[in-house]
Amino acid sequence: MTYPDPDDPAHPARPSVRPFLQSGPQSAGGYRPAPREEVPPATDPTATLRPFVITSGRTDGADPEIGIETQVTVNPAANRVRLSPEMRAIVGLCAEPVSVAEISARLRLHLGVTRILVGDLRAAGQLDVHVLDNDTPDPETIMRVIRGLRAIT
Amino acid sequence: MDYEQSPNRAYGAAAVGNEGRPKKAPVPVKIIVAGGFGVGKTTTVGAISEISPLTTEAEMTSASVGIDNPGQASLKTTTTIAMDFGVLTIDQTLKLYIFGTPGQSRFAFMWDDLIKGALGALVVVDTNRIDDCYPAVDYFEKAGLPFVVGVNTFNGQMQYSLDEVRWALAVREDVPVLAYDARFKASVRDALLVVLDQALDKAIRQKAT
Repeated sequence: MTYPDPDDPAHPARPSVRPFLQSGPQSAGGYRPAPREEVPPATDPTATLRPFVITSGRTDGADPEIGIETQVTVNPAANRVRLSPEMRAIVGLCAEPVSVAEISARLRLHLGVTRILVGDLRAAGQLDVHVLDNDTPDPETIMRVIRGLRAIT
Repeated sequence: MDYEQSPNRAYGAAAVGNEGRPKKAPVPVKIIVAGGFGVGKTTTVGAISEISPLTTEAEMTSASVGIDNPGQASLKTTTTIAMDFGVLTIDQTLKLYIFGTPGQSRFAFMWDDLIKGALGALVVVDTNRIDDCYPAVDYFEKAGLPFVVGVNTFNGQMQYSLDEVRWALAVREDVPVLAYDARFKASVRDALLVVLDQALDKAIRQKAT
């Protein structure tokens, strides 16, 4: 139930009519407040919920250390704090080491959004983000991948 | 956490390992599978992945190329693209991620986040539409990422020989051009092994300098 705003210059309140009497045509003695012109919500079919609403509009500022394959785990020492539903869902997935890309896919969250939220959770001490020491892969690691691939049939 | 209070609970210790900490996170490595629309990127990822491929949406910044407009950086646009990826656990401490990314547009993509730290890339080619993979080849060449051109043979048929594909793409002599079948695990594995071979060469060269 909405009452007309008495301060609205377009629809000034009648001084003699009490607001609760304006609730219906019967109780208000036949008085009907002029219907407000409602602005129809934008119906752009491509724009359901803008994904970056969840990040309060931030599209940038994702931690460059957090790559799409970076492994994330729950920080077991973290204090329980109130988190947004998306953040709670992320923390819930990270009992086992999981990549940022997997979090994004499982929660159907945009990858950019996921990176920002994981960065926030890391800053808040809720998640451990396992950043690699060296950016470029070393020959020993590549050799292990080669041996591992050769072993599969 | 109640593990501290009841350290003797057997299942607690088994689930989280020593001292209530989750087990050590594996080192992730990644290979990029790039190519035009419908050339078999997702099939390639699915053939080798131990999970059915997952999809994530990501932002891609593209800048128009080929049009003569110097100094107009505002022509950059951002598109959301779907990216399929799979995982292969090499061992407890090493995980291989395979990311399939589109690259069919005539825009050069600048996706530095994706290729940062990547071992290398497999550029998937359909001989019916060779030019679809030009942007990916261009990009990896510029970025200095080791890559291999993989001609997906679909039904074992190829319209052009590998030499003709190499000629059409004008890739450097040291870039391998091979044929593989995206539907078969062994075939995809062999193609990825060639990518890894290139990656190893580069890593050894870098270490030597």
